[in-house]
Amino acid sequence: MTRTLAAIALFTAAAAVLPLFLGDNPYVADIIITMLMMASLASAWNIVGGYAGQFSFGHAAYFGAGAYTTSILLTTGNPGIPLCVAAGVAVSCVIALLTGAIVFRLRGHYFALASIAVAEIVRLTALNLDITGGAQGILVTDVSFGALDMNSKNPFYYAMLFLLVFTLCLSAWLRRTRAGFYLLAIREDQDAAASLGINLYLWKNMALLLSAALASVAGSIYAVYIRFIDTSAVLSLRLSIEIILTTIIGGIGTLWGPVLGATLLVSLAEALRSNMIGAFLVNAGAVSEGSAIGKFLNNNLAHAHVLVYGIITVLCILNLPKGILGMFRRKGSA
Amino acid sequence: MKEKLLEITSLSKHFGGNAAVSNVSFDVEEEMILGLIGPNGSGKTTLFNCITGYYPLSSGSVRFIGRDITGMKPDKACRLGMVRTWQRVKPLGSLSVLENVMIGAFAKTRSPVRSRNIALERLEMLGMGGLGPKAAGKLPIGLKKKLELARALATGPKLLLLDEICGGLNYSETQELLETIRGIRENGTAIVFIEHDMKAVTGLCDRIVVLKSGEKLAEGLPSEITSNPAVIAAYLGAGYGHA
Repeated sequence: MTRTLAAIALFTAAAAVLPLFLGDNPYVADIIITMLMMASLASAWNIVGGYAGQFSFGHAAYFGAGAYTTSILLTTGNPGIPLCVAAGVAVSCVIALLTGAIVFRLRGHYFALASIAVAEIVRLTALNLDITGGAQGILVTDVSFGALDMNSKNPFYYAMLFLLVFTLCLSAWLRRTRAGFYLLAIREDQDAAASLGINLYLWKNMALLLSAALASVAGSIYAVYIRFIDTSAVLSLRLSIEIILTTIIGGIGTLWGPVLGATLLVSLAEALRSNMIGAFLVNAGAVSEGSAIGKFLNNNLAHAHVLVYGIITVLCILNLPKGILGMFRRKGSA
Repeated sequence: MKEKLLEITSLSKHFGGNAAVSNVSFDVEEEMILGLIGPNGSGKTTLFNCITGYYPLSSGSVRFIGRDITGMKPDKACRLGMVRTWQRVKPLGSLSVLENVMIGAFAKTRSPVRSRNIALERLEMLGMGGLGPKAAGKLPIGLKKKLELARALATGPKLLLLDEICGGLNYSETQELLETIRGIRENGTAIVFIEHDMKAVTGLCDRIVVLKSGEKLAEGLPSEITSNPAVIAAYLGAGYGHA
């Protein structure tokens, strides 16, 4: 426990002073904020997917519910950002309960299927209601919060960092409490878990609620940061899947796996999107710009990050079932 | 007369038209070891699944410590003090042996420290003291069976239902485990013990119930059961019954 806490403290300290070294580079700051966000989302997903073994394919719904609730409240009179976050958490928990309370009565893949269905219902609802701005989304103009300079990246950097560190501490703490042991037992064998006095229904719902609440906070921070949301940005199935892939590639069921996965995948996505890799290959002389391969790289690689995620995931599942983090650990020590 | 701990009344379980258990009744008293024997497919494990809430009953009732627990979920039954082990072992494979037993102990306490102490004590009691940090999924079958027992014991049960706990063990391991089970009973836990090897149960049990094709064939003291012609016929074939 002390070692884990020390590692979290070290990580927090390093991340807290990082902006001082970045200078005023909004591009890099934006990438790191995205990393922190994906790491928070993946860590949140990890509680229900990695610890309890219940795969949610619809975590975008909770992220989006936080983002939409916050944006709606901010455009209808800004009751203060903490209240917006709290309201988002409440909405997400209701959505989580609607899913979990029904589907956790069943076992097997029903939850995974239902989570997709519920997320799609949420997305289509947001796409068709007036209050959510339909397909146009919501543009937020007033995000003022006390004396903070909301045009700077710093408040969002530290807000996301706080959320991530909070989620990590919570996960580390869970892992050592009865609740955490119960979630792991449910993941390993539900019949055995039940025979040892574990109420499967109760604990699966608890895990989902906790996970949904954390994902919702990430959504709220994102909405205030970006100030414009629509369904494709915050409620897409693609986002749900990216959250899962981040966790699996980093190391499912581990504390640091989601952080590692987010760091790698966000960097990779950015490198592909800005066509850094294609440019690098051309500059290094590996391919000439005019050749067929060079043209292909220039034209297509920027859109290929989801494809590359997919390939990495397949390779991870085949060769590193415990993720990249699992490579460095002996089997058996979770 | 000791208190009745478990009362099973005309319990039946049908899978479609197939009666896996039909109209079985028996009681278990406090601190009793009851052997449940019968040939393969006679409904022993199905009966366990019905008692502990894994299968809904077709008819009949189960009472435990004076409460009707018919249809009660397994986790609730466990918290009342009735816990089972599995014939096909179910270790929480990627967790350590100690963590497996701690999860059992959490039925009694919320505190990780206390559950750890209970778990260490149970492992010590079963001679698995040094195995705590090992991955449960990597144990050989004999130790997995013992882990089942340690984990079940850690929940602090009043009644322990053991499903072929000796299966896969060699002679000396079996003798050792039977001795441990005797010790568990002396600490005040009643035991229902499924076994299809009659020799293993006759020395240990206070009472034996024999199942055949889902029906109760006989019930009585071990000496009565071993000399019961119907039981001998079921086990060895009709010819021996009249010999």
